[in-house]
Amino acid sequence: MRKSLLVAVAAIVSGFYLFPVYWMYASALKVSDELNANPPTLIPHAPTLTAFRWIFERENVAQYLWNSLLLSSSVTVLTLLLATGAAYSLARVRSIWMDVMLIGVMLSQVLPPPLLVTPMFVIFRQIDLINTQLAVILATTTKTLPFAVVMLRTSFAQVPIDLEEAARVDGASRTLAFLRITLPLARVGYIVVGTLVFLLAYGEFVYPVSLLNKKALQPATVGLYGFVGADYSDWGNAMAFASVFVTPVIVIFMLLQRRIVSGLTAGALK
Amino acid sequence: MRRNFLKGTAALGALAVLGGRWPAQAADAITMWHIFGAETEPGLKNIKRWNETQAQQIDQKFVPFGQLSQQLIKGIATGDVPDLITIDNPVVASFATQDALEDLSDLVRASRVIKADQYYAGSWGTTVWNGKQYAVPGEANTLALYYNADMFKAKGLDPDKPPRTWAELRHAAEVLTDKEKKVFGTAFCAIQSEEGTFQFLPFLQQSGANLKTLTSPDAVAALQLWTDFVTNGLASRDVLVKRQFEMTSSWLAGGSAMVISGPWELQRMKDVKFNWRVATLPRREGRDIEASALGGYVWGVPKGARNKEAAFKVIEFMSEPAQMQQAWSGGRLAPVKTLQVESPAMPEAYATFKKQMEVAKPRGPHPRWPEISAAMQTAIQEALTGRSPPDAALQKASRVINPILERTPMVGL
Amino acid sequence: MVGFTALYLAFFVGYPVVYNLIMSVQDVTLGNIRYLVRPFVGLDNYAKLIADPLFTMVLQNTLLFVIGNVALQFLGGLALALFFQQPFPGASFFRGLILAGWILPPLVIGAVWKWLLASDNGVINYALHSLGLTSGPIYWLSDPATSLIGVTMANVWFGVPFNMILLSAGLAGVPRDIYEAAALDGAGPVRRFFAITLPLLRPTIYALLALSTIYTMRAFDLIWTMTHGGPVDSSNIFPVWAYRLSFELFDFGGGAAVSTMMLVVVFIVALIYVRSVRAEQLS
Repeated sequence: MRKSLLVAVAAIVSGFYLFPVYWMYASALKVSDELNANPPTLIPHAPTLTAFRWIFERENVAQYLWNSLLLSSSVTVLTLLLATGAAYSLARVRSIWMDVMLIGVMLSQVLPPPLLVTPMFVIFRQIDLINTQLAVILATTTKTLPFAVVMLRTSFAQVPIDLEEAARVDGASRTLAFLRITLPLARVGYIVVGTLVFLLAYGEFVYPVSLLNKKALQPATVGLYGFVGADYSDWGNAMAFASVFVTPVIVIFMLLQRRIVSGLTAGALK
Repeated sequence: MRRNFLKGTAALGALAVLGGRWPAQAADAITMWHIFGAETEPGLKNIKRWNETQAQQIDQKFVPFGQLSQQLIKGIATGDVPDLITIDNPVVASFATQDALEDLSDLVRASRVIKADQYYAGSWGTTVWNGKQYAVPGEANTLALYYNADMFKAKGLDPDKPPRTWAELRHAAEVLTDKEKKVFGTAFCAIQSEEGTFQFLPFLQQSGANLKTLTSPDAVAALQLWTDFVTNGLASRDVLVKRQFEMTSSWLAGGSAMVISGPWELQRMKDVKFNWRVATLPRREGRDIEASALGGYVWGVPKGARNKEAAFKVIEFMSEPAQMQQAWSGGRLAPVKTLQVESPAMPEAYATFKKQMEVAKPRGPHPRWPEISAAMQTAIQEALTGRSPPDAALQKASRVINPILERTPMVGL
Repeated sequence: MVGFTALYLAFFVGYPVVYNLIMSVQDVTLGNIRYLVRPFVGLDNYAKLIADPLFTMVLQNTLLFVIGNVALQFLGGLALALFFQQPFPGASFFRGLILAGWILPPLVIGAVWKWLLASDNGVINYALHSLGLTSGPIYWLSDPATSLIGVTMANVWFGVPFNMILLSAGLAGVPRDIYEAAALDGAGPVRRFFAITLPLLRPTIYALLALSTIYTMRAFDLIWTMTHGGPVDSSNIFPVWAYRLSFELFDFGGGAAVSTMMLVVVFIVALIYVRSVRAEQLS
C-alpha cells in the first residue's frame, strides 16, 4: 500500500516537473498557429509531422547528431582522464598549492563563454587547430574539467584512507592501491560525473560556433541556433529539432539508468 | 574495454585533426559570413549561383544573427576576419569609426553595377560615414500596419479604410479590443533591444520631434500614444518582452487585430486563414510627416580581409537585378528603388511596402548608435511599465543622448 | 598526473582570465582590440561602472538571483534525492526521467518557459486562472517586479536535476549500517537525517553549493532568450550586462571589468569552499 502511494507521488511529481519537456514535444507536433493559441492547447489539435519532415529534409540531422555524440564522448573521456589524477591528489594531499589549484579550478568556471572565446581562439590559432573538432573538444574540456575535479575529489575523499593503507601494507604500490581499491569504490562518482559531463558537453554551443567554420563539423547545438533568425524564429521547427536532439540522449540515459542507479542505491561499504 | 575506447577516441581525434584541416586551395576562396539560416533564404540561393558560374568560390559560413557582432569582434581581435560579412545597418558607423571596415569609396565610384542614385536615400545613408563609403546595402525592410480584415468587419469597421491617423488608430484599437475573446486591438514591439527602438522611431519622427528634441511635447505625445495602448489594455503587456515576430505570431493566432511589423513576416502568411491586409503606418493628425523604420543588412568588407577586390565583385554580383529579384521571395525588399519585381507574390503587400520604403528613415548613422538606442529603449520601457511618466522618461534619455549628439552630430539631424 | 591537469587549466583558462583582466584596465576599441598593448586607464572602467546607476540594480538582481536559485535548486534537489532514495518500484525510472530537464539546451528552456509564462496565453496563468487562484493575468516577464521571479523559475527548474543527482550520489555513499544502528538505537527518521545523513553529506553539499553558485552566476542564455535582461533591466544580472557592454555597446573594457567583478565574487566563494575542504580533511 505504501509502495503504491510512493509510486503515485513519484508519477505526479515527475509529471509536473516534466511538463516543460512535454511542451517541447507537443510544440513540435503543433501546427504553427496553434503555438500561439489563446487559450493554450495542452494537446495538439491536429498533430502533424510537418516540422519533423522539414528539418530532416533541410538539415543533415544525422551529421549534426553524430558530431554532437563525437564531441560529448571525447570530452567525457578526456575530462575523466585528466580529472582523476588531480582529484585524487586534492583528496589526499594537503598543501597550500592544492588549495590554490582548487581555487583556480573554480575561478575558471565563472567567465561567461563569450568572453573566453577570443583568447581561446588565439590559443588554437597558435597551435594551428582552428576549424578542427579537436579544438572544440579541448575547449569544452576546460569547462567540464573543473566540475569533474571538484566532484571526483569528493568521491575520493569519501573512500577511507585506511583501506588504501591496508593495501599498501600488503605490499601494493600507491598506484596499484589506487587502482585496485579506491577507484572501484569511487565508481558511483565516476558514473554520475561522467553522465553530467557528457550532458554538459552535449549542450555546448559557444565553442563550436566560434572555433568551427565548416558546417559539416558542427554539432547539433549550432544547428538549433540556426532556427533563431534576425527577424524571425522558426519555433515549430526549432522544437522539432530540439526533440530530435534531446530524445536519443534521454533514451540512452533511460536504458543506462538502471546501472547508474544501482550504483547509487547500492549503499556501500561493508 | 576502456583501453579500446581510448584507442578509438585517439584515432578519431587524429582523424578529426587531419580531416578538419583546410586544404591549401581554400586560401583562394572568398570567405563570407552571413545570417542566412533557412535554406529558403534568397541570399543562399545567390551564393549558390555565384559558385556555379565563378572560378573563385565563395566559402560561406552561417552565423546566427545574435552571434554576428560577437563573432566579428572576435575575428577582428584575432585577426581572423572573413572577406565579406553581412552587417546590421545601424552599426556600420560604429565599426567604421573604429577602423574595422575597409573603405570601399573608390571601388563604388568605379563600379558599373552599384549606383548611389538607384538606392533608397535611407538605405544608402546607412553605409556612408564622414564622406566615405564603408558598405553597400544588401536588402531593406521597413514597418507597416498589418490588420485582420475579418475582425474589422466583425466590429463594424471598414476594412478598406484602415486607420490613417493616430486618432483613428486609437479608435480602431479600442473598438477591436475584446477582453472576452482575449483579443487585443493592436500590437507592436517594445522589447529592451534594438527592435524596440526600431519600432518606436517612426512614431517619434511622425510626431514632429527627433532625437535632439526628446523633451518636446511632440516626443512626449508619441511615447504617450504607446503608453496609453498598454495601460488601457489595448495592447498586451508582453510587448515589453516579445520580439517583433513573436507579436506577429500572436496576431496570426488571433491574439490581436493589428500588428506593426515588416515584410519578413509575409513568408508566414501563406497559410493564414483570415482575410489580412497591410497598410502604411498611420500618421499623426495635424502633422503630415510620413516616416517608417529602415532595417536590413549591408555588405561590409572587414579591415584586413585578404580578398578585398574579389569580395567587392561578390557585392556587385549580389547587387545585380537578377540577384536582387530574389529578395522578395524571402519577404525582403531590395534596397534599390528602381527595381521592379516581376509578378511579385502578394502584390498589394509588395506595393504597400515599396511605398513605405520611400519614407523609411535610417537609424543614425552614428558611431555611438548602440548607446543612443539603449537610452531610448530604457525610456520606452520606463514609460510602458509605469515606472516613469513619458516626459520624465524622455528627459532622462535626452540627458544621455544630447551630449553624445553634441560631440558627434548625426547626419540629417 | 596533477601537474598535467594543472598545466592544462593554467594554459587554457589562466590565459583567458589574465587576458580579461588586462582588458579591464585598458581603453579597448575595435581598432586596438587585436593588440595586447592598449592605452592603460587604470581603474577608470571600474569607476565608470560603479558610478552607473545600473550597477546597483544589476548587483541587487545578481545577488537575489544567485541566492534564490542556489537555495531553491538545493532544496528541490535534496527533497527529490531523499524521496527517490526510498525503495519502490519505478523509483529509478522516475529519477532518470527527471534528468531530462537538464538535457534541454538553455535556448529551448528559455523558449518553452517564455511560452509558459506568457501573460496572455501562457499555460501557467491559464492554470492559475482555471483553479481560481488568480483573477487576472500575472505579467510574469513583462512586469519589472516579477521578471526576476520568472527567470528564476525557469533556471531553478533547469538546475534541480543536477542537484538531485549529485545529492543522490552523496546519499549513496552513506553506509547503510550506520542507519540501521541508529534505527536500532531508537532514532526516528528526522533525527537520523540531521544527526547522520547531513554531516556525512557535508562534503558533497559544500561542493554542490559552490558549483551551483558559480554556475548560476554564469547564467546567460536563459535570461537572454526570455527577457533580454529587461524590462528596464529588472532581470539584468552581471553576465548579461557584461555581454551587452561588450557586444552591443562595444565597451570592451567595461565588459571585461564586469567579468572581473564576477571573478572576485567567485573567488570568495571558492575560498570559502577550500576552507571547508581543509576543515573536513582535518577531521
